[in-house]
Amino acid sequence: MRKSKHIPSWLMVVLCLLFLYLPIVVMMIFSFNSTKSTSVFTGFSFRWYQTLFEDNDMMRAVYVSVSIAVIATFVSTVLGTLTAIGLSKTKKVMKEFILQINNLSILNPEIVTAISLMLLFSALNIQKGYMTMLLAHISFCTPFVITNVLPKVRQLDANLADAAMDLGATPFQALWKVIIPQIKPGIFAGALLAFTMSFDDFIISYFVTGNGVQNISIIVYNMSKRTNPSINALSTIVVLVILVVLILSRLLPMLNKKKEKRVQ
Amino acid sequence: MKKLCKLVLVCVLIVSTLTGCSSSNSNKKTLRVYNWGEYVDKSVISAFEKKYDCKVVYETFDSNESMYTKLLGGNKYDVLVPSDYMIERLIKEDLIQEIDWNKISNQASLDNFVFEQASNISDAYWVPYFYGNVGILYDKTIVDEKDLEAGWEILRNETYKGQIYMYNSERDSFMVALKALGYSMNSDNDAEIEEAYQWLVAQKETMNPIYVDDECIDSMRRGEKAMAVMYSGDAAAVMVDNENMAYYLPEEGTNIWFDGFVITKDCAEVDLAHEFINFMISDENAYKNTAEVGYLTANVNAAKKAKNDDFEGISAYSVRTDNENDQIFNYQTPELKEKYSSLWVKVKAQ
Amino acid sequence: MHHFKKLISPYLFVLFLFTLLPMLLIVIYAITISKNEVLTFTITFENFQRFFRDSIFISVLLQSFKLGLITTAICLFIGYPVAYAISLLKEKTQTYLILLITIPTWINLLIRTYSWVSILSSKGILNNFLAKFGIGPLNLLYTDFAVIIGMIYSCLPFMILPIHSSLTKMDQSLHEASMDLGANPMITFLKITFPLSLPGVLTGITMVFLPAISTFVIPKILGGAQYTLIGSFIETQFITIGNWNFGSAVSLILAAFILILMSLMNAADRYTNSGDRDEDETRRLKRYAKK
Repeated sequence: MRKSKHIPSWLMVVLCLLFLYLPIVVMMIFSFNSTKSTSVFTGFSFRWYQTLFEDNDMMRAVYVSVSIAVIATFVSTVLGTLTAIGLSKTKKVMKEFILQINNLSILNPEIVTAISLMLLFSALNIQKGYMTMLLAHISFCTPFVITNVLPKVRQLDANLADAAMDLGATPFQALWKVIIPQIKPGIFAGALLAFTMSFDDFIISYFVTGNGVQNISIIVYNMSKRTNPSINALSTIVVLVILVVLILSRLLPMLNKKKEKRVQ
Repeated sequence: MKKLCKLVLVCVLIVSTLTGCSSSNSNKKTLRVYNWGEYVDKSVISAFEKKYDCKVVYETFDSNESMYTKLLGGNKYDVLVPSDYMIERLIKEDLIQEIDWNKISNQASLDNFVFEQASNISDAYWVPYFYGNVGILYDKTIVDEKDLEAGWEILRNETYKGQIYMYNSERDSFMVALKALGYSMNSDNDAEIEEAYQWLVAQKETMNPIYVDDECIDSMRRGEKAMAVMYSGDAAAVMVDNENMAYYLPEEGTNIWFDGFVITKDCAEVDLAHEFINFMISDENAYKNTAEVGYLTANVNAAKKAKNDDFEGISAYSVRTDNENDQIFNYQTPELKEKYSSLWVKVKAQ
Repeated sequence: MHHFKKLISPYLFVLFLFTLLPMLLIVIYAITISKNEVLTFTITFENFQRFFRDSIFISVLLQSFKLGLITTAICLFIGYPVAYAISLLKEKTQTYLILLITIPTWINLLIRTYSWVSILSSKGILNNFLAKFGIGPLNLLYTDFAVIIGMIYSCLPFMILPIHSSLTKMDQSLHEASMDLGANPMITFLKITFPLSLPGVLTGITMVFLPAISTFVIPKILGGAQYTLIGSFIETQFITIGNWNFGSAVSLILAAFILILMSLMNAADRYTNSGDRDEDETRRLKRYAKK
């Protein structure tokens, strides 16, 4: 495959990126607008950032969104990975059954999932709030992890884990030191997908929350009467955080390499 | 190294979860309030929390129906702020308790007009908060004043095709049609309802109106369309920001509505609930709320101040009292509600 | 290795409690009716009959499918070339580009949609810009155009990523072999590249079509509530009207349609994947042979 410069390819890609980033750039620019307007830029100001940090409800919503996304990603990744590994050793009937229900979770329209969970919590008379939102997120994120890890588990050489145990490793050690390192790309992809699904979720969170617990999406949805540019400020910060994390994740391996070179 | 990182991460997560959960386990009393969205000055809530050393869990809804569904779905609240016909329903279904008016020391400032107009709702159960009506917010520079004389029919005047916002609410839209045809907005007569349905269908086909919720408010602020069916308070807020806007109330009559505080049957803090309601309707706080939101407050002193200071010359802020055709919404039986709702879905899907 | 079988038990519990039980509740609500908000246990199919009796309800479902199809088709039309273009570039560049395409999905969809409102509205950014050149205000918001742009915008990354993933997994030597054997680039693409990328295409179609038919937020914001789609219809039944029985029945109807479509997709997927499966089988056979 020729890997030289392709002008038409680049053009297409650049156009696509322009399309994808247009609203984001607009949002970022207007987060610095000195007036409320989101269509006319009148001057540069940090006032919306100030409003954002002074708004307790919004700060709480950020905490809710982030904490639920992090915890749900962690739990669903662990749960999903272990299940995927277990599934590869399960009998066909049970395995197909679980995979079909998994499919059902993924294919089910979000509104149906949201409502079914709402019915569940009200039927069991469970007070809706942070915990119900968290449980709901874990339950819809795990299937995504499983579908990402399972193919990698299938590609594994089953003999390696057996060999490790023959050599005296406990099942846990075999799991931790042999199986997991091999399926890492799948786990990482699954965790990333889980985080994406959870952080941006609206419909499911909207139906299963209560007790004043709101995430970012719900707050944005409730603010329809007047535009509130502090939301733009919030999203701009999110973009910056992502950029910083990405740059760091690129720099750290490079720094490690430099250390290794020095040691040598 | 990696294991240490993971351990630290897990610890941080556990600690942050616990602190997140425990902040709601403090010994302070908690009051759970469920109100309309963007319907209060938040500093008033904070002031209440400070004065009474309590925590207010403040949730918002965007329609009476969604409030009712959440209530039925198991969420627990202490104070609600429903509208007239929903208060009727809550009384009928025994979901709210009587107000102890002895605890509402600020009641003298409440406008009697409200209780007179809403006489079908027992005033033993609710304390008025805001009230208003529904009218047409129009752009003076685009709309010809003469066209307004047609009343609600101006919303079917093809000069303004594609330039009007209709509210995405079946009761409000059917109200417009029923009033345009000269019927009661609480009609349960099949023939009348069918006629109103045809009115709305014809409107959709000839005028291409845009059905929105509150997004029209900001849009009208920017002057993007000629007319919008809007609640008086929102219209007042827009008129403050956009001088080209004016508010029109047809002679055929419109809907007057009242929102008020009620206390749920299973309220956990009845005394605190009464303190909250009393606090909200005090002269000072009623003024803060009305100035922030734009809706007419039931507190006459606060209303007078707002009329003179913040909403001077804004006709939409006040509510007319002289039109006999103005009506309040009554409670609808579930069957009637379903009929209206199905017809409304059909109108939009044309 | 049988130790690992037990690993699935926690998830079985989760599945039962949070997927099976809720769906069971929906089924129960769908086949019963409520009198005065209290669930009766008389089994009836009245809710389903009601949906199919009224042609308006069916047209709502069909309109949602239409929107889903158009969105998926356009996303495929744009997404495949872009994914292919990316796959032709240097590997490091590819990684950066894929990252750049993923990042927008981490930013709240509602906020991004509201951004489109301020771009497309009649006194919005685009019209302000065009006014400088004397081009009259374009009525873009609250039109089919706006809704489709919004839908494509939110779904495009989910079409590009799977297609790109399966394009890069391909064995490059097949390309070279084909070229060596004298085929021109077009034939190589049609006979080798495209068929092998089909799994990614099918994944992309699945990940776009499903949210597209059941969405309700984007059409409402960019098109107005006249875009009555099945998603908002279900939401209205539950929240505004409070008829949980009818709402559950409609939810089941929607879920059923999707499952039928998806099993058709899976059949197509299995057909195109038969090549990979043979590879797995061959490897497994070799392993057993060695034992």
